[in-house]
Amino acid sequence: QYIVHSWFLSFSEVVLEPFQFSLPGSDPSRGPHFTGCRSREQETFRCWWSAGIFQNLTEPGALRVFYQTKNFLSEWQECPDYTRTVKNECYFNKTFTQIWTSYCIQLRSVRENITYDEACFTVENIVHPDPPIGLNWTLLNVSRSGLHFDVLVRWAPPPSADVQMGWMSLVYQVQYRVRNNSHWEMLDLESGTQQSIYGLHTDKEYEVRVRCKMSAFDNFGEFSDSIIVHVAQIPSKESTFPTTLVLIFGVIGVVILLVLLIFSQQQRLMVIFLPPIPAPKIKGIDPELLKNGKLDQLNSLLSSQDMYKPDFYHEDPWVEFIQLDLDDPAEKNESSDTQHLLGVSRSGSSHVLNFKSDDDSGRASCYDPEIPNPEDLASLLPGHSGRGDNHPLVSRSSSSIPDLGVQQTSEVEETPIQTQPAVPSWVNMDFYAQVSDFTPAGGVVLSPGQLNSCPEKKKEEENEKKIQFQLVSDGAYTSENTARQLSASVPPSPGPEQGYQTFPTQAVEGNLWNGEYLVSTSDSQTPYLLPEAPPAPILPPVSDYTVVQEVDAQHSLLLNPPSSQPAICPHSPNKHLPAMPTMPMGYLTPDLLGNLTP
Amino acid sequence: MNRVKVLQAWLWCVSLWSCWLSHAIPLDCKDETGSLIQCTSISQEKLLDRVIQHAELIYRVSEESCTLFEDMFVPYPLHALRNQGGTVCHTKPFPIPGSKTEIQQISDKWLLHSVLMLVQSWMEPLIYLQTTLNRYDDAPDALLNKTKWVSDKLLSLEQGVVVLIRKMLDEGILTPSVFEHTLTPYDEPSPEIPESVLRDYNLLICFKKDAHKMETFLKLLKCRQSNKLSCLSY
Repeated sequence: QYIVHSWFLSFSEVVLEPFQFSLPGSDPSRGPHFTGCRSREQETFRCWWSAGIFQNLTEPGALRVFYQTKNFLSEWQECPDYTRTVKNECYFNKTFTQIWTSYCIQLRSVRENITYDEACFTVENIVHPDPPIGLNWTLLNVSRSGLHFDVLVRWAPPPSADVQMGWMSLVYQVQYRVRNNSHWEMLDLESGTQQSIYGLHTDKEYEVRVRCKMSAFDNFGEFSDSIIVHVAQIPSKESTFPTTLVLIFGVIGVVILLVLLIFSQQQRLMVIFLPPIPAPKIKGIDPELLKNGKLDQLNSLLSSQDMYKPDFYHEDPWVEFIQLDLDDPAEKNESSDTQHLLGVSRSGSSHVLNFKSDDDSGRASCYDPEIPNPEDLASLLPGHSGRGDNHPLVSRSSSSIPDLGVQQTSEVEETPIQTQPAVPSWVNMDFYAQVSDFTPAGGVVLSPGQLNSCPEKKKEEENEKKIQFQLVSDGAYTSENTARQLSASVPPSPGPEQGYQTFPTQAVEGNLWNGEYLVSTSDSQTPYLLPEAPPAPILPPVSDYTVVQEVDAQHSLLLNPPSSQPAICPHSPNKHLPAMPTMPMGYLTPDLLGNLTP
Repeated sequence: MNRVKVLQAWLWCVSLWSCWLSHAIPLDCKDETGSLIQCTSISQEKLLDRVIQHAELIYRVSEESCTLFEDMFVPYPLHALRNQGGTVCHTKPFPIPGSKTEIQQISDKWLLHSVLMLVQSWMEPLIYLQTTLNRYDDAPDALLNKTKWVSDKLLSLEQGVVVLIRKMLDEGILTPSVFEHTLTPYDEPSPEIPESVLRDYNLLICFKKDAHKMETFLKLLKCRQSNKLSCLSY
């Protein structure tokens, strides 16, 4: 460590400025100093100095150079050879040159015993190799267009450098430029003795030169002499004309091919590029069915869609009833229940209601011939939760009466069956006409209620109307065969003693309802049928049924008053026109029903 | 008859034993999986070429390491130290001549032995250098990698030189001697940055110089092998 420090201190003067030993230039503003040391081949070296501003030291011998090697000899020795031909040069020959050894030189004025300058170095660090020799070039190739060419440049290492022995390992640097240009292009260092230059322009003169340095050191030698590289531009025999022709023809051919392709595959291409917009489609419904299918199938399909049901329910309860009757087997249960309770002889409405009497699955329990399903009966009333809206035979709380389904209106009017005492005020309202009898054909014979003495028509008229109603109401629901059958099967005088009659089963298929059980029930009162008979002190003669004249805008039925009846009926239809729907008052109670039966 | 037979048997044994001796394989050759296999032979020239390639690479990497260290840690005025070839490099058991003429007069044997000695003398200092370089906060990874690489390559170089010695000089394996280094590694708690920097810089410079020596000697050897005339001193 001590050595380091002392040595460091001794170098303070030199260390402060970079030690540029390789510039043999003199600085006149300074005193005597070394201007540089160089070695060419790592075997000898020379050092130069300058007297500087001290002109009195310019005579030879005034300044002397002493050197010291850091090997074993630590004494200062004088320069072995002051070059005679060159001023202020000290030459160290082979015997005095050692590599891997630090040299220190001093510039002293012996007379004054002053050391003006000192420097330390190793020989390999001051080596500047001689320039390479034998620089030449050969043409590698010329580009197709004749505008560019590549050359291979070769040289030989400087003869002074003993490369073969490995004494010096040299790397080379090639530079080139366009003649008389100021900027030199530099290529990467090359350890071999040849290099390729690419991308030179023909008809331009290039200057190429090369220099070398020792690998792992930084000191480049001098440049070699430049050589001129020039290749005359050969007018290319093959012109560019054919290539352009080929290009044009090729493009035309491709265009023709494309056009042909497009025209031949027009349809397919149209599909690919302009895909057809999908037609509107309802999920689950075949569009063909929409076009050609039967209305009944269509209705069944449509009703199976959830979106349709609420609309029907909200808009037109009567129409909805018709729909439900056809499509929903559950609803059909109730309707058929009600139908049979009312009287299976009512062919028209039965038809309407029980048209879609197809599968009876799950109805076994409901269709117990002995005991009617109380739930079904209960569900007939609108007050019954959950079923009120769906029941076809129960009039909505809304007082609207649909256009179609006249029979239903009358049915609802005529056959309110209460299972619970808490029944909305049907009792007191004369919405309904009293059913007096049932025709064997399935028609309902209306009679005026106890408070209601609205006139009613004869049975024949009733039958006619029934048939008419039937035909009017459901052109789609019943076939003409059934209509004819119904009309044919309407007995001229069903008579009230028939009571509940079996529903003409041949008219409707798949109807498991056997109205016979209803016959039995007629004998014994069902507990679900609550009797409530409005007191009627006077029972004026009432007609069996009322003809519905028309339906006004408020969906109320205008009933024709019977001509034979005195206009005692406080609930004549005309009266009730503005206020409430004109329905016959009263309802059918079981005991009344029992009175009616024969 | 018995004597003749005994003599024959004895001769057989001797010849077999000599054959076995000649085929004695001091080096264990292992393939990639690690199993011992027959060593692949290589000609002396190729071996020398490979050894020279190793030495050249080591020399180039040592110079790059020195430059990296210098750029990173050494202030510019101190770059002159590089020109001076290092202040103190650890002494060698025997001096190595520096002039070309003297070097040319060195025999092959001494050339190889010098190279081997140089290689062996730098193994420990390089390991030490790795540890000290790790202590620097912002030592570039390239520098650390290069130092590590050089340590590994020195081992291969040593092996190659040993083989060369055996082949060219017909000598046995030299036991690696431990050289005393003046620059012994020591652990300081927290040396001042300039001192450690100087020390490490000096170490790198010295190593570069010795790597140059190795390369030069080996190339001289190569020159002598190929063309004796041109390599002799003139």
